[in-house]
Parts: sequence; structure tokens; C-alpha cells
Amino acid sequence: MTVEEADELRRAIADGEVDAFVVGAERDRRVLLLAGAYHRYRELVERMQQGAVSANARGNILYANQRFCELIGAPLLQLYTRPLESFAIADDRPKLARFLANAAYGSQVEIGIERREGPPLPVRMSLASVVDDYAAILVTDLRPLRLQQRTVELLASIRKTLEGAGSEPAAAIDAALAQVAALEREAQDLG
Amino acid sequence: MEATTPRPASHEKWELRLYTAGQSPKSLAALDNLQRLCDKHLAGRYSIEVIDLLKNPRLAKDDEIVAIPTLVRKLPEPLRKIVGDLSNVDRTLVGLQLKPR
Repeated sequence: MTVEEADELRRAIADGEVDAFVVGAERDRRVLLLAGAYHRYRELVERMQQGAVSANARGNILYANQRFCELIGAPLLQLYTRPLESFAIADDRPKLARFLANAAYGSQVEIGIERREGPPLPVRMSLASVVDDYAAILVTDLRPLRLQQRTVELLASIRKTLEGAGSEPAAAIDAALAQVAALEREAQDLG
Repeated sequence: MEATTPRPASHEKWELRLYTAGQSPKSLAALDNLQRLCDKHLAGRYSIEVIDLLKNPRLAKDDEIVAIPTLVRKLPEPLRKIVGDLSNVDRTLVGLQLKPR
């Protein structure tokens, strides 16, 4: 480390502009965070089943957890600084822009997001917090919920069909079972 | 005699690397401040590579990173490092040699 670098380090520490240090050497190198509680927070964010995104006031992504990267189908490296809006399907961009501009704690929006592969993904975005102009947004995959809604609708429809099938319900039952099997396959695809 | 700072040529490509610690408050602030600064002063000719040292602490070795966040100017040469959240725009511009000291 040069004298200039050491001076820069001293200045940044004195000004309270750093919140982590790299300690150890070679294979034992690790990051020591000044705020100990952040470790547990981060662990929670990384393990949760919902996507989580931190964005600045302009809606640019500053951080995203592993689950959000999975939903989008892109690594975090490709997400940094990109506008969150750019992941929404074209029709939903104005809706997302309004949400980001007016978001208050607890506000929500349901939109479709583009993925690297496959059809758009229906998600619900909820504003979890705003601290120092940075918004924490939770992103919930709505596919399981939509599947559940369709299952309820299907069961109601089957019941109605059977009630009208009279003394020969076999064909109605076969049709209903085929629909149930299709839903089961969708559910398996969701994991 | 007044000291002069080399001004970047308008076509020069800037390669910046920001070392962060996940979404720690200072890391988020540094990336936000850096993007704003680059959009204003280096529009269309910069790239930012973010390296999360919480995910891979060994990468700190490459640029001998001690504190986080740290910004490294890879190009144009010479390599320069700025430690901190880049909240002081003037100091960051001086550190990047985008403004005379």
C-alpha cells in the first residue's frame, strides 16, 4: 500500500464512509462488517423464497438477492444499475413507473416481468422499506397463487358438470380428471 | 506554477470496478453515487463492474482491497483507488482525475 492509499484509507474511515473491512490473508480472507446485525439480515434476505431488490430513487437496481436473479434468469452482475422498469413487460412499464414514483411503505403492484427464457412471469412487488432514499422491494412469484385460484375454479366447474351429468357421468369425470392432471403438471413444473 | 491534472480524452473508455459488501448501506450508496457521477461526467464511455466481496472475499486480493466500499479505476491508467461511499462528489472527481486537485 502506498502512502497515498494509506492516507485515502485513513480519510475514508475517519469520515465514516466504510462499513466493512477485508481481514485475513489468502484462503482465510473474509469480510468483517462493522454492523454485526447486518450478517443475520443478509442471511435472511439470501435465503428467503421471495425476490428482494434494493433500488435507488431513480429505480436503478443496487442489489438483488439470489431468488430475484433466479426469477429473472440473469446473474446479479448483469443487474447492477439497470432500471427495474426495464424488466417489466412493455404493457406494465407505466404501472411499475407509477409504483416506483409514488411508492409508500406497504404499497403493491402486480406486473409481468420478462425473463431470459420462458413466458413473462406474473409477480407482485411490495415496498418493504425506504431508508436514505433506497427502496427495498419484495418480489413474489404469483404463479403458485394463480395455480391455486385456477384449481379452485376447476373444482367448482367439475362439481357443476357432475351435478348436470345425470346418470352417465363417466365422460364428465374423464374430462375433469384430464384437467386436474394438466394442473398437476403445471404445479410440478413450479417445483 | 499551478499543478495540472490530466483531463480525460473524450473518447477514452473508462473501466471502473467497485468492491462492495452485499447490500450494506455504504455499498448501496457508493454504487448509486458512482452511477450518477458517471452518467454526468462519463456518459456513454464507462463500464462499472461490481464485485461483491461477501460472496467471494478472495477477489479482494486482486486489487489489494482493505476497506469496503472501494472504487478502482482500471482504465484509463494509472490505476487509482478511492475508498468510501463516494458521497463527496468533488473529492471523487479529484480522485478519478476528472477534476484538478
